[in-house]
Amino acid sequence: MSQKVTRRQFLNYSLMGVGSFMAAGMILPMGRMALDPLFQEGAEGDMVTTSVTIDEITEEPMQVDFTFEQQDAWYTSEVTDFAWVFREGDEIIAFSPVCKHLGCTVTWAADDNNPERFFCPCHNGLYEKNGNNVPGTPPTGPLDQFEVGESDGYLTIGQVIPNQLV
Amino acid sequence: MLYNFEDIKKLDEQLEFVDTAVIPFAGADMDDGALSHANNIELLQLVSIQLEKQFKGRIFITPAMTTVKSDTTVLEQYEAQLYDYGFKNVVIITHMKLDEPHTTIRLNHIPLQDMTNDIKLDMVKEEVKKVMKSIISIWNS
Repeated sequence: MSQKVTRRQFLNYSLMGVGSFMAAGMILPMGRMALDPLFQEGAEGDMVTTSVTIDEITEEPMQVDFTFEQQDAWYTSEVTDFAWVFREGDEIIAFSPVCKHLGCTVTWAADDNNPERFFCPCHNGLYEKNGNNVPGTPPTGPLDQFEVGESDGYLTIGQVIPNQLV
Repeated sequence: MLYNFEDIKKLDEQLEFVDTAVIPFAGADMDDGALSHANNIELLQLVSIQLEKQFKGRIFITPAMTTVKSDTTVLEQYEAQLYDYGFKNVVIITHMKLDEPHTTIRLNHIPLQDMTNDIKLDMVKEEVKKVMKSIISIWNS
C-alpha cells in the first residue's frame, strides 16, 4: 500500500532538505575556522637536527651549534645558536647559554676559580652544573633547558623550556 | 643592549649593570676608498651583532656612526653624552686610528669579499674574540 504524501508535506520536506544543505554550507566553514587553531601544528614543535651524534656527548658540557630559520616580519634569516650539551646518566641535557640575569652568554668552566660551573663574564654570574644559580651572584634563576631528542643517532634540539633539574 | 625602544626603556634601571657603551665607528667616504670602507662597515656590523649576543647584559651598542674625511667631532659629542648619561666606559670599535683620549678597539682590515662563508665566519669569530678580550680587560682595569 502506498502512503500518500500531500503537497504540503512534500513542500515541507524539500524545503527542510534544501535549508539544511544551505545551513551546513554556512556553518561548516565557520566551525572549521573556529577549530582551526587546535589542528594547526605549531612551528614551535619543530626540532632542529644538529651535526653532533648522541655517542659523542660526554659528561663534560660541550658547545653544540644549531641553525634555524627565523622570520622577522617579511624577512627570513638564518640564525645560528648554540647549547651546552652533556650527559647525565642516561639522560642528555641541553642548557640554553643565555644568562638569566641580563641575557649575556655563559660559558662552561671559563672562570679558573670555578672549574665545574657555568660562568657569565658580564657580572661574574655562576651556575652549578645542573643549571642552578649560585646564591650571591647576580642571576635570579636557573638556566633554561632545551627540549632534546634523537634523529638517526643525531642530537635534535627543540624549544626552550624552564629548568627541569632544580 | 641595543639602541631600540625596549632596551632603552630597560636601560635606565639597569645602568648599574650595563656600564659600558660601545660605538661602532666607520668612515663612509664616497671616494677611492669606498670599497674598503664598505668592507669595513660589513665587518663592523658582523662583530657588533656577535658582541651583543655575548655581552648583552653589560654593554649598550649604539647605532653605527659614520663619518667623512675622518672627522670625529660628532663622535666626541656623542661620547660626552654617553658619559653624562651614566656609562662608566665608552668604547669605540673602529678601523680608524683615533687619537689618545678615546678608548678604542681597532679591528683588522679583513677582505671579506674574497672568502667563502665558512672562512668568513671563522675570521669574524676571531675578531669578536679579540674585541671581547679587550673589553674584558677594560672591565678589569
